[in-house]
Amino acid sequence: MIEVQGLTKTFGQFTAVDGVSFEVREGETFAMLGPNGSGKSTILKSIAGLQKPTKGTIAIGGVDALKTPLAARKLISYLPQRVGFHDCLTAHEVLEFYCRLRKLPISRIEEVVHSSEFNFNGFNEKRVAELSGGMKQKLGLAIACLADAPVLLLDEPTVSLDPAGAIAFRKFLKTLKEKGKTIVFTSHVLADVEMLADRVAVLVDGKLTAVLPIEELRQQIADKNRSLEEIYLEYASAA
Amino acid sequence: MELSSILPIARRELIVAIRNKWTVIFAFVFGSLVLAISYFGTITAGEIGFQGFNRTTASLLSLVLYLIPLVSLMMGTQSFLRNEGEDEMLFSQPVSRSEILTGKLLGLFAAMTTATFIGFGVGGVVIATQTDAEGFLGYPVFVLLSLFLTLVFLSLSMLAAIISQRKTKAFGLALLLWFFFVILYDLLVLGGSLLLKERSANYFIFASLFGNPVDIVRVAGLLSMKGGEVFGAAGAALLKFLGGYGQAIGALVVGLIVWTAAPILASFRLLRDQDI
Repeated sequence: MIEVQGLTKTFGQFTAVDGVSFEVREGETFAMLGPNGSGKSTILKSIAGLQKPTKGTIAIGGVDALKTPLAARKLISYLPQRVGFHDCLTAHEVLEFYCRLRKLPISRIEEVVHSSEFNFNGFNEKRVAELSGGMKQKLGLAIACLADAPVLLLDEPTVSLDPAGAIAFRKFLKTLKEKGKTIVFTSHVLADVEMLADRVAVLVDGKLTAVLPIEELRQQIADKNRSLEEIYLEYASAA
Repeated sequence: MELSSILPIARRELIVAIRNKWTVIFAFVFGSLVLAISYFGTITAGEIGFQGFNRTTASLLSLVLYLIPLVSLMMGTQSFLRNEGEDEMLFSQPVSRSEILTGKLLGLFAAMTTATFIGFGVGGVVIATQTDAEGFLGYPVFVLLSLFLTLVFLSLSMLAAIISQRKTKAFGLALLLWFFFVILYDLLVLGGSLLLKERSANYFIFASLFGNPVDIVRVAGLLSMKGGEVFGAAGAALLKFLGGYGQAIGALVVGLIVWTAAPILASFRLLRDQDI
C-alpha cells in the first residue's frame, strides 16, 4: 500500500532521514519507533505530502506521491502530533469545514461522531477554545476518520491523551484495523506499539536499523526474558 | 484550481475574521473616520459641520493611504503565518497549496470588504442626508480604490508571511513594507528627481508612479475627482505622457492588477517548494 524507496531529507547540513526504504502492506499496522530526532515524523510528513524529500520516492496505493500529490493525498488521512484549530469555531464547524474540503456530504459528520467508537459527549457544539488537549486530539482523529481513507498516518497519536483517553484510543485504532485500514504511526509509547503494530520499524539518527514483525519482538522478549524497552535500546545502540 | 476547494477556506477565513471582531472594529474605525473628517474637516477655518462628498473624499484619501496598507498588512500577516497543528492538517488534505492561499486571501478580502462597505457606507449615508449630493459619484470610486489597495496589501502580506515563516520576522517585514511604500518611497523619488535634468526627471517620476501601489491609488483617486490642479508631479506627468484621463485611469488600473497578481504568483511559487 505504501512504498518508500531511498527516502532522504536534509535541512541544510543536517540529514534528518538518510536513505530509508520500507513497504507497508495493505491492512497492516506499521509502527515507527525511535528517539527524538530520529526522523519518524519527517518520514510521516513526507508521506503526507507536507515535506519534500531531498531524494527518494514515495508511492501510495501505486500512486506516485511526489509527482501526483493530490491523487495520493486522497488516499490518506493524517493526524499531526499537535493538532490546532481556530479557537472561535465549534467542533462541528471544524468537522464541517474538512467535510467540505474533501467534498463529503455533511451527513458524514453525524456518522462519525455518533459511531460507537467515538464518544463526543456533547462537545460537538463547544468552541475549540473550550476543548481540552485530549478533546482536540479526538477532534483531530474524527477529522482523520471523516474521509474514510484507506491509509491513516498518525504522528504520536497518544502523546496528549490521559491514560483513559489512551486506552480508548487504542481500542478505536483496533476497530479501524479490523476494518482493514492501513495504519502507519509513530510512537515513543512502547505499549502502543506492542498492542497495535503488526510490524515495527526502528529508526536511529535518520537511519532505519530494523523492521521486525511484532511476533519476532515478542519472541525475543520471551526468549531473553527482557522488556520491549531493553530490546528496543539494543537495536538503537547497535546502530 | 477548483472553486469547490477554495470556497470552504474563504468561508472559514471570513467567519474567523468576523468572530474575532476584526471586521466590526475596522467597520467602526472606517465609519468614525468618515464622519469625523466630514464634520470636523473645516475646523481650522473656524467652522464645524458636515462637508460635502468632494471635500470629505479628498481628505479621506490621504488618511486611507496610511491606514489601509497598515491594517491589511497586519491582518494578512496574522492569517497567512503558519499555525503548526492547523496547517499540517489542512495541507495534508487533497487540496493544492495555491488553492489554500487563494481561499485565505478571498476570505480576508471579503472580511475587509464587509468592514469597508459598512464603515464607509454608514458614513456616506449620513453625509448624503446632511449635505447636497455634489461630488457623490467620486465617493463610490474612492471606496473601490480603497478595496483595490486592500487587495494589493493583503497580497503583499501573503508574500511577507511566506518569505519570513516566523512570526516576529513576518510582522517586521510587513511593517518595513508599510514604511517603505507609505513614507520612504516618495522621499526617495523626490530625492532622485532632484539629481536628474528636467526631461529625465519627468520620465523618472512617471515611471516611479508604477513602482508604488499607494501612489497609484493616490493619483487614481485624485484623477477620479478631476482634481487636476492638486494631484502633483506624478499625476501631471501621467497625464502628459498618456495623453488623457481615460488612458491614465486604464494604466493605473493595470498597475494595480500587476501589484495584486505579482505577490500572489510569487507566493504560490515559494510555497510550492516549502516544507510545512
